[in-house]
Amino acid sequence: MIKVTNLHKYFGELHVLKGINEEIHKGEVVSIIGPSGSGKSTFLRCLNLLEKPEEGQILFEGVDITAKGVDIDKHRQKMGMVFQHFNVFPHKSVLENITLAPILVKKMPKDEAEAMAMELLAKVGLESKAQEYPKRLSGGQKQRLAIVRALAMNPDVMLFDEPTSALDPEMVGEVLEVIRDLAVGGMTIVIVTHEMGFAKEISDRVLFMDGGVIAEQGSPQDIFGNPQNPRTKEFLSKVLNA
Amino acid sequence: METITTIISLLSRYGMMFVKGTGVTLYMAFLTVLFGAILGSLICLARRVNFAPLRWVAAAYVEVIRGTPMLLQITLSYLTLPELLHMDIQPLYCVILALILNSAAYVSEIIRAGIQAVDVGQAEAARSLGLSSSMTMREIILPQAIKNILPALCNEFIMIVKDSSLGSTFFVGELMTVQATIKGALYLTLEPLMIVAMIYFCLTFTLSKGVVLLERRMSRGD
Repeated sequence: MIKVTNLHKYFGELHVLKGINEEIHKGEVVSIIGPSGSGKSTFLRCLNLLEKPEEGQILFEGVDITAKGVDIDKHRQKMGMVFQHFNVFPHKSVLENITLAPILVKKMPKDEAEAMAMELLAKVGLESKAQEYPKRLSGGQKQRLAIVRALAMNPDVMLFDEPTSALDPEMVGEVLEVIRDLAVGGMTIVIVTHEMGFAKEISDRVLFMDGGVIAEQGSPQDIFGNPQNPRTKEFLSKVLNA
Repeated sequence: METITTIISLLSRYGMMFVKGTGVTLYMAFLTVLFGAILGSLICLARRVNFAPLRWVAAAYVEVIRGTPMLLQITLSYLTLPELLHMDIQPLYCVILALILNSAAYVSEIIRAGIQAVDVGQAEAARSLGLSSSMTMREIILPQAIKNILPALCNEFIMIVKDSSLGSTFFVGELMTVQATIKGALYLTLEPLMIVAMIYFCLTFTLSKGVVLLERRMSRGD
């Protein structure tokens, strides 16, 4: 579904991604782990071109989205993204947060969009908050809203950028629960996370990134149970014994 | 004591002149901020377009306006505008035009700062949903930026109320002109000055209290 070839990204002098080759298949759940500064988030943000890579190619459903003249807005509709800091729209109600893009971009009739939004809200236990504004929501509720907002566009893949890193510990569970349901439901997921237990549980594949490259990858059993790369071993021993 | 009685008698005899002067001052400030805001928005827009020469012109305009004295700009407008347009333009409107051109530069910076203050995550979230950059600006950025912009725009109005006094150089009828007229007619220096000082202060003080209220209301949504 997503095929990445020789991806390079620079921030000024800083060479953040140093030639990434990777293929994400339909229905796969892929976790990206690694130390901070290793390029995990940058890699994820390249997938929907929130960061523009300097070199390399990203094929999404057969289309090279890094090519000139590609209407990226059209492809982004098919790639939902969830951010560390939620980025819900504070000036719109919970319902409007969800219906905004379907109405504006997909030209969906308002009543249809609202019915769909209510259905999605019910799935994550927020239907009673539909008319509230985001400032009245807890962090966990905001993140569930952000997930539903992305789902409302009916995407083919969901990208999660450290979705629980900004949450109070007691709210991590409720958000992971929603992501787990998505994974079980067959959604293609790429998730950058520090929740090792969760990555181990839901992933089909785990990528370990270090220094701007994918240093090791494999099944969760292999990566967590029998890592080969010394950097992977070092990283896992640090985070798992913390 | 004598000063106070003089002030009271001045007010009772020439009160209407001060009222008129206040009217002209507010009229100037109102027109300036209204058209300054429109022109300022256009300048701000010009600074964001994908066409470098237009960006440079807009940036240069802002720098030149901010880097030269307002009195100079007003004088220039007064001296050249009627000739430039081959029209008999009243001095008042020469001054107002200079104020507008000046204010627009500051307003464009106010709008720019207001837009920049909106968290970039907001735009990223909107774009990630497939919204175009113009939809993102209209639906997500501007409605949030307006909260930063409106109070600053009101402060600009307060500044213009004070800066319009420069128009008295060309006797355009605002408060400082009234003061100068009375001073010239009655050979009184201190008293008319104190009266207009009080009027200016009442105007700006009320307005700035209003801005505080507005800011409080605006931040309620956060």
